[in-house]
Amino acid sequence: MPESWNLLHDLGTGLRDRANILAVACIDVPTWRSWTTWVTSVGFRGGAELLFNGVKKHHVTLPSQSEPWDMKQLLVWIQRNLLKERPELFVQGDSVRPGILVLINDADWELMGELDYQLQDQDNVVFISTLHGG
Amino acid sequence: MPVQCSSCSEKRAVLKRPKTGHSLCKECFFWAFEEEIHQTIVSAKLFKTGESVGIAASGGKDSTVLAHVMKVLNERYSYGLELMLLSVDEGITGYRDDSLETVKRNQQQYELPLKIVSYEELYGWTMDAIVKQVGLKNNCTFCGVFRRQALDRGAIMLKVDKICTGHNADDVAETVLMNVLRGDIARLRRCTTISTDSENEGVVPRCKPLKYAYEKEIVLYAYFKKLDYFSTECIYSPNAYRGYARTYLKDLESVRPSSIMDVIHSGENLSVREGVKMPVQGTCSRCGYISSQKLCKACVLLEGLNRGLPKLGIGKHHRFHDKILSQQPLTEEEERKLKAVDF
Amino acid sequence: MLLCQVDFLPQWRRAAQKCVCTWRSCEVLACLQWLCSHPVPVSFRLCFKDFFIHKFKAVLGKNRIIFPGEKVLLAVSGGPSSCSMLRQVQEGLSQKANKKLRFVPGVAFIDEGAAIGQSVEERQRTVAELQAVFQATGFPFYILPLEQVLDLPASVVATNPSPSEQPASAYKAAVHHFVETDGSNFPRPQEPKKTLLPRVQESHTLMLQQLLGSVKTLTAREELLNTLRQHLLVHTARTEGYSKLMLGDSCTRLAVKLLTSISLGRGAQLAQDTGFSDSRYGDIILVRPMRDYSAKEVAYYNHLFTVPYVVIPSVDTKTVDKASIQRLTESFVTKLQTDFPSTVSTIYRLTSEKLQTACRKRSGADGCDRCLLCLCSLDTAVGESLTHTGVTVHITVLHFSFIYKQGCT
Repeated sequence: MPESWNLLHDLGTGLRDRANILAVACIDVPTWRSWTTWVTSVGFRGGAELLFNGVKKHHVTLPSQSEPWDMKQLLVWIQRNLLKERPELFVQGDSVRPGILVLINDADWELMGELDYQLQDQDNVVFISTLHGG
Repeated sequence: MPVQCSSCSEKRAVLKRPKTGHSLCKECFFWAFEEEIHQTIVSAKLFKTGESVGIAASGGKDSTVLAHVMKVLNERYSYGLELMLLSVDEGITGYRDDSLETVKRNQQQYELPLKIVSYEELYGWTMDAIVKQVGLKNNCTFCGVFRRQALDRGAIMLKVDKICTGHNADDVAETVLMNVLRGDIARLRRCTTISTDSENEGVVPRCKPLKYAYEKEIVLYAYFKKLDYFSTECIYSPNAYRGYARTYLKDLESVRPSSIMDVIHSGENLSVREGVKMPVQGTCSRCGYISSQKLCKACVLLEGLNRGLPKLGIGKHHRFHDKILSQQPLTEEEERKLKAVDF
Repeated sequence: MLLCQVDFLPQWRRAAQKCVCTWRSCEVLACLQWLCSHPVPVSFRLCFKDFFIHKFKAVLGKNRIIFPGEKVLLAVSGGPSSCSMLRQVQEGLSQKANKKLRFVPGVAFIDEGAAIGQSVEERQRTVAELQAVFQATGFPFYILPLEQVLDLPASVVATNPSPSEQPASAYKAAVHHFVETDGSNFPRPQEPKKTLLPRVQESHTLMLQQLLGSVKTLTAREELLNTLRQHLLVHTARTEGYSKLMLGDSCTRLAVKLLTSISLGRGAQLAQDTGFSDSRYGDIILVRPMRDYSAKEVAYYNHLFTVPYVVIPSVDTKTVDKASIQRLTESFVTKLQTDFPSTVSTIYRLTSEKLQTACRKRSGADGCDRCLLCLCSLDTAVGESLTHTGVTVHITVLHFSFIYKQGCT
């Protein structure tokens, strides 16, 4: 999804340059593809990035595994590898905390099967917290 | 498995609306979201042609979306409103100064006039200075009370007829729950009304055009429209008790998305028993602002700050009002009790 | 559960302080375990018992709703609160003449085994256990399998005219008359009938399960169960000649119920759903005399005075917090109560003091704009939130009533 990737990228750099704190954290992609390495970008916005050290862009690769990655696994992986503090503010049970919106390729994850959604190559996942500010 | 938009059935749906369960594409969502706010404005008769309206702008998601939608609707439906942005600078370094930058950008993007009133010029105290004196325990009381009045003062300076605020459905529902948990019947009855009446002088009528808009939709609207907003929590920690209500509400929403509307509906339909004492609104004898006591809360809080007795305005200390008015000193015993607590 | 956290209500605490016994440390009671291993001073026990029953009689006396000699049906679920209520009635009736409760009680228990998929044997066992409890009271009792709701006539969902409004003086006169005649003119409790769990046709059980299964969410299923339960109780009261129905909701329970009602959009109805008395059925008035007791007070009383109760699983037993709105609210209130011990009493005081209990203005004499199921006046004309909501509970509820009617005919 190069289009959404660009959007995310634009937002990330564009807004940051204007001293906007709506940060986008991206898990960057390796340039080659294989069936078992899933290339996904992950963004955190609306305050959710504060739990990730405020880092706006991560460069990571999802490890290989025999079956496709689903959202449930991605959440666990994020928790283990990206989340810096207070996991209770990001996850609850095996899903995200109520009040954090999840967009997969810019579409509400409620339309995509939520936790059961199987990640595709080059997918783009964004987490937006609705819990801050007004 | 892309889901098609249930409205135009052409494009890919991007969200599932919590209110209705419909799956909509970006364009249909924008349209539905804006139309609903239009409906709210029309059916509650929030504005009259030719009025000038101040949009309370904090730089956050709600007020940014409000400003955007108000501008769009004003043009689309020729409301004939003169819109302007009104911001309050509480004087919180590292929070408000940053968010005000966002508001200033919004001013340019939407081409609306902007007025910023600061606590410092109105009260002679910034929030930073207040926190230094009172600590982090009751600081939100000061900020809340002062902000309410500051908006009114700013509105009077700008000579606007109305103020609209960015309170969304989640905020209203949360306030209903809060007031139930506190047993505050007077506020419970007031908090669901969409606009305050203009009976009182010195108070500009307020309304909440986003009263029926879900927070989720506001955030997504801002995201898809790429609106420029600011989202950091206030550095002087938010109200803890409100946090409980918020968590409960978000949990409710995840069990049954219509819950937020249901809570608001409940709040609108509570029947209060006759004979329950409701506070009578009068005016403050010092500044003329509405108040159910001789002095308004802001004046008492301010007096407390200036006398170095920050607890004067916290809790119920009506008996001191006469002394404050006649500028009498308090007794030592009284002063001791009202000094800042050790923390 | 630590008893040192006991949230004795303020009036409780005052009474405990006034208590003449030497053992005054009611507020610093260690914990239940401590209590189990230490004897509680007899004086405190007596004091506690007196106070408990006093509160029960006081709430009935203050509200003047139950007239001397009136037949009152106690709805006993088998849980701690309603069993404690049963004990209070027993105690109240056996006291000396001037302090005596003066109504004629009966007990009703609804067996909801079908709703939670219990086997016939399991249901028989529960019933037998409760039967022993009821028999010991000497009151007439009715064991009602929930399946009976399928045979109810449509008249259940109608409001019957209430007996003409009695002026406040009528209560005094009635009490006076009762004391003078020594109550001899009033009906005595009947001999307890031998009732086992009435035979239930398997097809009925299936039909009930189908009805409940047709409701998708647990939230709605619990609401439906509540409604069915209440209909069956009201119907039983009507056919057996009772004019009051006593429910055993404690204030903890009611606080949860109130917040649930708010979250379900039943704001207009919640004063009726949780208030002391509820006259929506007209001829049968629902009364909640246990609403001044917290769940912990009840648990403590039951423990001290060995009140028997039966633990019966319900549809939301062993489910996660977010299984239903009712369940979520319950855990929310419980958690908040541990952090802010005044939570429950603040919430419940809303209805007891500030919200209207009486039916709002009825349009027309027949009061036709009522919800078909819960019989409260409809609130669908007011407010804008409805036009913005896809589903509101009321509309959902009306939908159930459709299923229900189909099930009946």
